[in-house]
Amino acid sequence: MQYVKSRMLDRELKKGSAELLILSLLEDQPRHGYDLSKLIEARSGGVLKFRVASLYPLLYRLEKRGWIVGRWIEKAGQRRRRYYRLTPVGANVLASQRDTWREFVLAISRVTGVEHA
Amino acid sequence: MPEWPRDVREEVRQHLDDQYQELRAAGSSHDEAMRALEEDLAAVRAETTRLHPEFIAADLRYAFRTLRKNPGFTAVVLLTLALGIGANAAIFSVVNAVLLRQLPFPDAHRLMVIWGDLRRPGVSEIPASAGEYVDYRDRNHAFEHVAAYDTVGFNLTSHDEPERVEGVVVTASFFPLLGASAHVGRTFLASEEQPGRADVVILSDALWTRRFGANPAIVGQSLLVDGRQVRVIGVMPASFQFPDRTIDVWKPIVLDADALSANNRGSHGYTVLARLRAGVSRAQALADLSAITATFKGEYPDNYRNGFGVTLRPLRDEIVGDAGGPLLVLLGAVALVLLIACANVANLLMARAAARRKEIAVRTALGASRRRLVQQLMTESVLVSLIGGVIGLVLAAWGVDLLVAAAPDSIPRLQEVGVDQRVVLFTAIVSLATGLLFGLVPALRSSRAALNDALKEGGRASDGAMHARAGRLLVVSEVALSLVLLIAAGLLIHSFARLQDVAPGFDSSRLLTFRLSLPESRYTTFQKGDAFFDELFASLRRNQEVRAVAAINALPFSGLGGSRTFHIEGREEKRPEDQTEEQLRIVTDGYFSAMQIPIISGREFTDRDSLSRPRAAIVNDALARKHWPNQNPIGKRVSFTTDDPRWYEIVGIVGNIKHRGLDARDRPELYVPYRQPLFDGWTVRPMYLAVRTASDPAAAAAVVRREISRIDRDQPISDVRTMDERIGRSLSGRRFNMVLLALFAALALTLAAVGVYGIIAYSVTEREHEIGVRLALGAQRRDVIAMVIGQGMTMIVMGTIAGLAASLMLTSVMRNLLFGVSAVDPATFVAIPFLLIAVALVACYVPARRATRVDPLQALRSE
Repeated sequence: MQYVKSRMLDRELKKGSAELLILSLLEDQPRHGYDLSKLIEARSGGVLKFRVASLYPLLYRLEKRGWIVGRWIEKAGQRRRRYYRLTPVGANVLASQRDTWREFVLAISRVTGVEHA
Repeated sequence: MPEWPRDVREEVRQHLDDQYQELRAAGSSHDEAMRALEEDLAAVRAETTRLHPEFIAADLRYAFRTLRKNPGFTAVVLLTLALGIGANAAIFSVVNAVLLRQLPFPDAHRLMVIWGDLRRPGVSEIPASAGEYVDYRDRNHAFEHVAAYDTVGFNLTSHDEPERVEGVVVTASFFPLLGASAHVGRTFLASEEQPGRADVVILSDALWTRRFGANPAIVGQSLLVDGRQVRVIGVMPASFQFPDRTIDVWKPIVLDADALSANNRGSHGYTVLARLRAGVSRAQALADLSAITATFKGEYPDNYRNGFGVTLRPLRDEIVGDAGGPLLVLLGAVALVLLIACANVANLLMARAAARRKEIAVRTALGASRRRLVQQLMTESVLVSLIGGVIGLVLAAWGVDLLVAAAPDSIPRLQEVGVDQRVVLFTAIVSLATGLLFGLVPALRSSRAALNDALKEGGRASDGAMHARAGRLLVVSEVALSLVLLIAAGLLIHSFARLQDVAPGFDSSRLLTFRLSLPESRYTTFQKGDAFFDELFASLRRNQEVRAVAAINALPFSGLGGSRTFHIEGREEKRPEDQTEEQLRIVTDGYFSAMQIPIISGREFTDRDSLSRPRAAIVNDALARKHWPNQNPIGKRVSFTTDDPRWYEIVGIVGNIKHRGLDARDRPELYVPYRQPLFDGWTVRPMYLAVRTASDPAAAAAVVRREISRIDRDQPISDVRTMDERIGRSLSGRRFNMVLLALFAALALTLAAVGVYGIIAYSVTEREHEIGVRLALGAQRRDVIAMVIGQGMTMIVMGTIAGLAASLMLTSVMRNLLFGVSAVDPATFVAIPFLLIAVALVACYVPARRATRVDPLQALRSE
């Protein structure tokens, strides 16, 4: 069951909700890729999990679109890491994607009778 | 790992490393941690096999970098490919223009030529008489236009300067049929076919430029053509060259009552063109024409005793003729050269792949899948081949001009040869295919090797062995392919040598020849022409430079000929096919001694063989044997008219000569004196003069011109050449094929030698350690040389055997190009492999020598 669920989620993520997750997590502060993947896994209680192979190309694409900006930052005693932050364009996209998502979830709830949390 | 941008690659590496460290920190063993990561690694691998546009760009950038880093390697590969692809593009552009491209006329596929068939041997494809043309034109339902033309020479005089130009007389429908209009002025009106209105001409762009400085005001002005005033009405564009590029003047055919009379029904001189109506097939048109010609026998029983039929052939086939065969052989030859080039480049790539083993292993370790690696390596190959193709195209555009300049007149449509869209497309496809061909095997091999390497360090032995095996196979094929080309070239060279040894039957040295046509307007009677020749010959014979001079209507190697039917006294001709028809030559006295054609028996013509004396004829040996086997023909008589025979008595037998070419069969020929014309009031207009000179024949041309101008300053001469030059030109088609094929064979041999050298040199490097050990253990240098050469010879001998087998099968396609040499000529099949082996030996010897210079200590220490 878990497998089926994660497969479904994986597909869903690839379709666009993955973008929403990343943009949301970058809203407050810049983060690096490893951090992002850990946060998504932790905050979703292990339900949502990114493959390395899809996370980084996705970040690359988002950066190409101008929604986020990555920069290599070296901190003392640590290896350098690439930190991503949200651009103003990215912030707009996030706002609109959030609305869309909210409407989508609401619509699903109305149809399925599942209460919106 | 160029498939992902460098940032992404580093991030992925870090991520995996972070996960690994975390798992270890949490107490997992190395193996446990690796197992946990396995799924992610697999996903990375899967992801990297997908094609993303940005990865292709990255692949290309990476490929460019790799090529720039190895300029020597890149230069050799590009040169090899550019030569191979360029040669293909050049030959293809000739094939394209001559064989593939439509004729340069609108809806050219609807253009046909109509040939008549008198239903007798030897006259089954003949031009039309004026009457036949008019019947086709007026009675058909299948054609939009029907036109007739005949090529003629004109004496053109303007600004007091005579010139002989090539021309055609055409019907007014000729230009509309071809869809051509004048560049300046206009083309002919139907009314200009009428007698008295036909004194108009159209000039070619070349003549207009050369003689009249491309001045448009020439239209409306008058010129002297064959001694008559004619008005210029138009100039054709430079692109219009029909029937061929030599034509400078078009003039209307006059279709008067005489031309159309029943008497002239048998005078077949016009080539008839026809343009099919849209939607009418060739078969329908042929049926339509056949219905017309079926009536001919009833209407003119004397002219069509066996009935009459027609052949309808596309104009394109008519023009291209049999030029296709040799061109396709050449195209095949360059394709082989390209294959050899591919084998060479593949070998180079494999040798380099061995050097790139480390890099590939690293990329494999980082998760690049085999498909991904192959894609990257193939991107490199295709990039190289495309660059090679671009350079090749430039070489071809350049080489095509050389090709066209060197090409013989026997190849039609050469003026159309050039690099067009189709040539570019062909080159692009060939380049792409080349890149895939030479890139695929090395890419597959090195990616497989890389997977092996990833598992264990120092997989050198297996990798080296693999490369060596594939490399040897490639070299064996190179040797085999180049042997095929060498043998083909050898056969052509051998044929050419054989042909040059053929004696033409006369002495061609110190012989100046030219054409002279006395115009009807000034030389109205036979006597006037005769007097002109008398005076000219007498004055020339007074010149110290001139040893002998004579004239003939159809000179050997002039391209002219002509046969006539005649009747042999005492032979019965019950059926029409009993009529005798042979080549007829009209010669002035002294012709045989001037040409040095041997008199086998009897005598040659003298100045007494004139109209006041009994008519005389001379036959050649072939004719004597054919018509009077085991008899002496001297004293026998022939006549060219049946009703009121005028007998020509055979007074001599002369040797056979080569008339059309050194490769032609000896044909029966009948000679009659110029001064004893076949019919009353009949004069042979265009004559060729042969002047035997004391020294340089070309230098005598000035003397000849001066003497002619002194007698008649409006009389031009044309086609001025020495006989040796004519014979040389008759060989130009063969020489062209031979030189090109020899060139390609030499290129193939060079490539194969480079291939042999490359593989041997590589194996010497690989075996440096082993050779060092051998030397340290006391092996002699010559043992090392023998070992290295022995290794090379195995490949060469295998390639030679394969090449001989392939040649035995392939050379039969060029049987038509050979002369006096069999397609499996033993001398060629023995000599050429020796040449190849000798060259290959040298290619082996150079690296073998280097092997002996291996320092044993150095070799041992480096391990």
